Amino acid sequence: MKHEQQHNPPMKYGMAIDLDKCTGCGACMVACMSENNIPFREDESDKLVSISWMSVFKLTNGKAFPDTEICYLPRPCQHCEGHGGHSPCVSVCPATATDYSAETGIVSQIYTRCFGCRYCMGACPYHARYFNWWDPVWPEGMEKYLSPNVSPRMRGVVEKCSFCFHRYQLAKNKAYLNDERTVPEAAYQTACTQACPAGAIVFGDLNNPAHQVHQIVKPDPRKGNKSRNPRAFRLLERLGTNPKVYYLSSREWVRRAGDNYLAHEKTGQVSNVHH
Amino acid sequence: MKVDRRSFLSFVIGGAAGTALSPLPWKLIDDSSIWSQMWPWTPVPPDGEVVYEDSTCSLCPGGCGISVRKVDNRAVKIEGKKGHPVNDGGICILGLSGLQLLYGPTRIKTPMKRIGERGEGKWRKISWDEATAILTEKLTDIRNRGEAHTVAAIAESDSGTVPALLQRFMTAYGSPNFIRTSSQVDADELAVKTLFGATGRAGFDLENADYVLSFGAGLVDGWGSPVRMFRAGSLWKEKNVAVVQVEPRLSNSAAKATRWVPINPGTEADLALGIAAVLVSQNMVDTGGVSGFGSWKSDLLSNYPTQKVSQTTGVAADVIVDLAKGFAKADRPLALCGRGKGLVAGSLRETAAVYALNALAGNINRTGGMWAVPESDYIQWPKAATDKLASAGLRQPRIDGAGAGRYADSRYLPNRLADGVNGEGPYPLQVLLVAGANPCHDLPDSKNVRAAFARIPFIVSFSSFNDETSAMADLLLPDHVYLERYEDVPVGAGLARQVIGLSRPVVSAQFNTRHLGETVIAAARAMGGSIADAFPWPDYETCLEETLGEKWDTLMETGVWVENDIDPVADTVRLAGMDAPAIQAEGDVDRFPLLLVPYDSIRISGGTIGDPPFMIKTVADTVIKGKDGFVEVNPQTASAAGLTEGDMATLSTPRGEVRVRIHLFEGIKPGVAAMARGLGHTAYDGYLAEKGVNVNELIGPVEDPSSGHDAAWGIRAKLAKA
Amino acid sequence: MDTALIPKGVRRCPMWQFLLGLGIVGAVLAWGVYAMLLCWFKGLNQTNMNNYYGFALWIWADLAVIALGGGAFFSGLLKYIIGKDELKHIINYAVLIGFICYSSALLILAIDIGQPLRGWFIFWHANIHSMLTEVAFCLSCYFSVLTIEYIPLILENRQLNKVPFFHHLSHNMHEVMAVFAATGAFLSFFHQGSLGGVAGVLFGRPFAFREGLLIWPWTFFLFTWSAAAYGPCFTLLLTWITEKVTRKKLVKDNVVELLAKISGWMILTYTVAKICDTTRWANITVPGMGQTLADFYTGNAFYGYWILFVEIVLCGVVPAIILISAPLRKNPAWRITAFFLGVIGVSLNRWVMILQVMAVPVMPFDSWALYYPSWQEVATTILPVAYGVILIMISYRYLPIFPQEAELNPIEEAATAAVEIQTDTTPDLEPAQA
Repeated sequence: MKHEQQHNPPMKYGMAIDLDKCTGCGACMVACMSENNIPFREDESDKLVSISWMSVFKLTNGKAFPDTEICYLPRPCQHCEGHGGHSPCVSVCPATATDYSAETGIVSQIYTRCFGCRYCMGACPYHARYFNWWDPVWPEGMEKYLSPNVSPRMRGVVEKCSFCFHRYQLAKNKAYLNDERTVPEAAYQTACTQACPAGAIVFGDLNNPAHQVHQIVKPDPRKGNKSRNPRAFRLLERLGTNPKVYYLSSREWVRRAGDNYLAHEKTGQVSNVHH
Repeated sequence: MKVDRRSFLSFVIGGAAGTALSPLPWKLIDDSSIWSQMWPWTPVPPDGEVVYEDSTCSLCPGGCGISVRKVDNRAVKIEGKKGHPVNDGGICILGLSGLQLLYGPTRIKTPMKRIGERGEGKWRKISWDEATAILTEKLTDIRNRGEAHTVAAIAESDSGTVPALLQRFMTAYGSPNFIRTSSQVDADELAVKTLFGATGRAGFDLENADYVLSFGAGLVDGWGSPVRMFRAGSLWKEKNVAVVQVEPRLSNSAAKATRWVPINPGTEADLALGIAAVLVSQNMVDTGGVSGFGSWKSDLLSNYPTQKVSQTTGVAADVIVDLAKGFAKADRPLALCGRGKGLVAGSLRETAAVYALNALAGNINRTGGMWAVPESDYIQWPKAATDKLASAGLRQPRIDGAGAGRYADSRYLPNRLADGVNGEGPYPLQVLLVAGANPCHDLPDSKNVRAAFARIPFIVSFSSFNDETSAMADLLLPDHVYLERYEDVPVGAGLARQVIGLSRPVVSAQFNTRHLGETVIAAARAMGGSIADAFPWPDYETCLEETLGEKWDTLMETGVWVENDIDPVADTVRLAGMDAPAIQAEGDVDRFPLLLVPYDSIRISGGTIGDPPFMIKTVADTVIKGKDGFVEVNPQTASAAGLTEGDMATLSTPRGEVRVRIHLFEGIKPGVAAMARGLGHTAYDGYLAEKGVNVNELIGPVEDPSSGHDAAWGIRAKLAKA
Repeated sequence: MDTALIPKGVRRCPMWQFLLGLGIVGAVLAWGVYAMLLCWFKGLNQTNMNNYYGFALWIWADLAVIALGGGAFFSGLLKYIIGKDELKHIINYAVLIGFICYSSALLILAIDIGQPLRGWFIFWHANIHSMLTEVAFCLSCYFSVLTIEYIPLILENRQLNKVPFFHHLSHNMHEVMAVFAATGAFLSFFHQGSLGGVAGVLFGRPFAFREGLLIWPWTFFLFTWSAAAYGPCFTLLLTWITEKVTRKKLVKDNVVELLAKISGWMILTYTVAKICDTTRWANITVPGMGQTLADFYTGNAFYGYWILFVEIVLCGVVPAIILISAPLRKNPAWRITAFFLGVIGVSLNRWVMILQVMAVPVMPFDSWALYYPSWQEVATTILPVAYGVILIMISYRYLPIFPQEAELNPIEEAATAAVEIQTDTTPDLEPAQA
């Protein structure tokens, strides 16, 4: 919620993930792990203690054979804006270790500030936050591939997707050196967006009409940034978390799975967004 | 000085207050927090100059261009190469994990000689000179005894200079036993030869197709060139192309398709021929590019009436007609086959039937159609001269029987290797060279394969990794991994054009390993005579540069050479090869009421490379939980056996029995059980070993009567509460 | 052996018995300390917490002991501010229990956080929007208040009191205790409330979320109210247990009944408020977020509608009625049952507001996550209990915790003891009269 000095109108980085295209291949997860020095352990099958900033959920329509359908849903941190930057996690962190940037709309996480109370994890309905239950240990030799752009986290702190914020910093520096006023769309892309072989992820500034993500999402600021695209939805939109990750699906059951609805309510049409 | 109680108390209280007011405690508190931010055991990656180096990924046959980010001399990230003709910036999960293979602890770091019992894992480090000497002395001995044919080599590929050098070595040495590991390529080559009457492979212009009918091909599960397939899938979504996936299980490919047609496992060929029969009977075919249609037509119509096909396949008659109409109405329909990633050869009948559909749609060698692509021919070495010993060896039959007698149509039959070694072959095998293959894990009927390997007196592994086969070896001559070496990577993988990628060393060799090409050249030179003469190059790089000729400069500059203008091997399809009987699953229906089919997942590496830690981390807890593997069954199937989600069960087949957990999945045909392929490793490290079950323990090879290729698509099985 | 330290006019068990008891509880304490050290040195992987259960047994224990320790601030408020003077006979024990509860809570927090060495960042880098920051500040301040309230009690030890400085200090502290009691009540109002706010502000968790007044969700007020209502139940329950263990009457019935009656009315009003809150939440808040109660109480192996009944009716309405009704209240069996239900009720409420919040899936495709604590978590949770028992044992033995004890349990052959303490200038044990 800090207000940095600004020369440009504030940006709002966000994503549009096309679930029609997503194949659940997992490249986004590993691209993220590789980009962000995410540790791993011998047994990662207990998904409740496994760290994966980008996590791919498998949704089913609940119907029996042969009417069963599957949809994969990649879930990075939703970088909720909440109301005026009061995202669920930012507002609860007692030590200001996580913050909402008014410049970029990115929810940050300062690992060396976090003391591991895990309140933010309880606050996040998306389970986008992960705790380092163990010291990160790389098998001998493997620490060679660690990237200096993202510091490995110590035991006892919470971590999460940063929209590859280090890439923004690099792009911003480069733009500055090139005398560009803004960071060009192509210059700042997250690792998952870049890797996705299906091209299902589009990333950019939701405030910038020139950016593809804006054109796809067409956010409506009068309706709490709800998308004007009939295929689009956000996860748990009606809670008022105001996330910046939008999903697209042509399937009604998938869009409905994105939020809680009472039996009589129509998908995508709820009376009032909370807050 | 007398210390009374009062002054003592004053001293203690005063001291405590004084310390508290001094900066000391605050400094200590601050220090402790700083220390907690920089625990010495948490690595701090050193910074440095960032450069990107391009290369080609050869972890699978896909041939993607990669761009490796380096910080000083460390490779820190692999990304897809933008603008590359195969993957244009995209990258798959395995390609992304490459650095864990490069730097991982599963590397074989130096040549080694076995000193303990086989498989015991006791090795002695040796020098490359000693290693080469051991190998060449052994080989020279055998050859001098006139038994050169008792040496065999198994490799993952037979295209490109490195496999070619190995093949050339075998020829010059005098052994007919060069074996390529099994894959859909086998059936594809045979089908192209049978239908087009020439050597080549099928290429698919997927990007321009407007109707895709996939007979179990794992379009987004790792079939073909995986990243290209993902891109094509998205393109189809954008263009509203109908994609029909015919498969007994709701795979990711089926889930992404516009229509999923569940089918009885193993009856894909029947459905393809049934559709063909509908096309023919309703006069919806274009016979311009086919020959032999007249006689074929009557057989087809009498053998594949829709009702009968419906019964065999479990696909409703109206659905069959619907698929036929959809296929016929489309401008550029494409039919594809090769189950999952296409890791099993498959039958000629099935492949030919599916290719025939493309022919009947008049979609051969056309935009959006199937192309008969010639084999790449840039390796133009003079024929290796063979001396008397070599010629004698080459006249011997192959250990796997390929290319002669009832197997005359096949080139390699790795599925018959184990039986060949176990006594059915014409002679005992004395040496096996293993390059870029892991037969001890990947060949069906692992028990039989292990028995065969135990009988081979001397096994040499060129593997870079501690895989199951190197564990069984006597001599380890580790190759560089792909990020450390030069190599040409010719890409087949269903591409409708010819592409050659270049692998370049992104980092210097991390360990005391040696390029397989160098090892082969060095061995040949050490053996002298006609063998040495066949290898005139001083080193592999020279060989590569000379071989590629004018392509070398393009490759060095752009990393890839592309020929878009394909000159097809033939234009007319002769309808043949579809009259063999259907491939049945092994096992007795009464004892084994279920059908077990392996399935492929893009998150589980199914080929030679074992899953790196990152990939294993993405595998769902309904596939592996702890060390336990899962078998997927329909809830109906499970409840019939009294089983529910997560239960421990015994899964038995005629070939073996394992303990697995149950995962209930509505997206699988009742009566069918599915298990992920590529798990159940015993070698590698704790991140991979002992997790899940190797489905090859349960499934044996089933020979395609037309060729001898492994055409097993599953096996009969039984589930019981454990 | 330690007769000189034992308050005048009361009898204590023999030393060996005392040491034996101390030894047994000490062993439990050592087990807890061992588990605590494991958590500190090996990390929180020693627990069964996970990324779904960031808050678990410890945080529940934390909230529960703070609620139960609420007897201290509320009795203080009643005695010093409202002027219920009879409560002076039980206030010492209430303060001691409060002190134990709050020190335990702080200890648990120090084990619970992933980086204890940086725990002080909560003060240094405080985020004023966070309920937890408010908790940390008020909790620490109130703990200081409790310490200040507890110190004069320690100074009343027979030997310490001989030191004139301590004697006067104790005396003067008693004089100003009303100020501390008021401060304590104020601080407690906020941190009890903030703890309620911890759950209530989670707008991403419909099960926990509550609307409210200004920045405070309804749970803020409910938590404060319930701590005030149920805290005295815990004080009285422990008093009863202490009486059973020592086989002595320690507090007169009129004192107990007064506090019980007040507690009863507090529970009643709280329960009415809780019912209103639950009704509004179930009918307006939750449907507004697209969910129904069935989403919270069905579809899993543990959390059912029974929990609502137990918390609100069995442990709310029932104890309220017992404690309000004079005949029932005066019957020790009914009274103790009510205390017991009350303690269960408030603990269950804290459990629901912490653990059930974590268990309920929010995304429709997510699933319930149930959890059971590891032995390390159980041991570290029992650790403060053992510590509390030890502190009570020592305090009871050497400090005049129960002012009415001597009167209620006259010693016949008190002569010998009296000789030794003839220098005592304050024979009276009642703190306020000193």
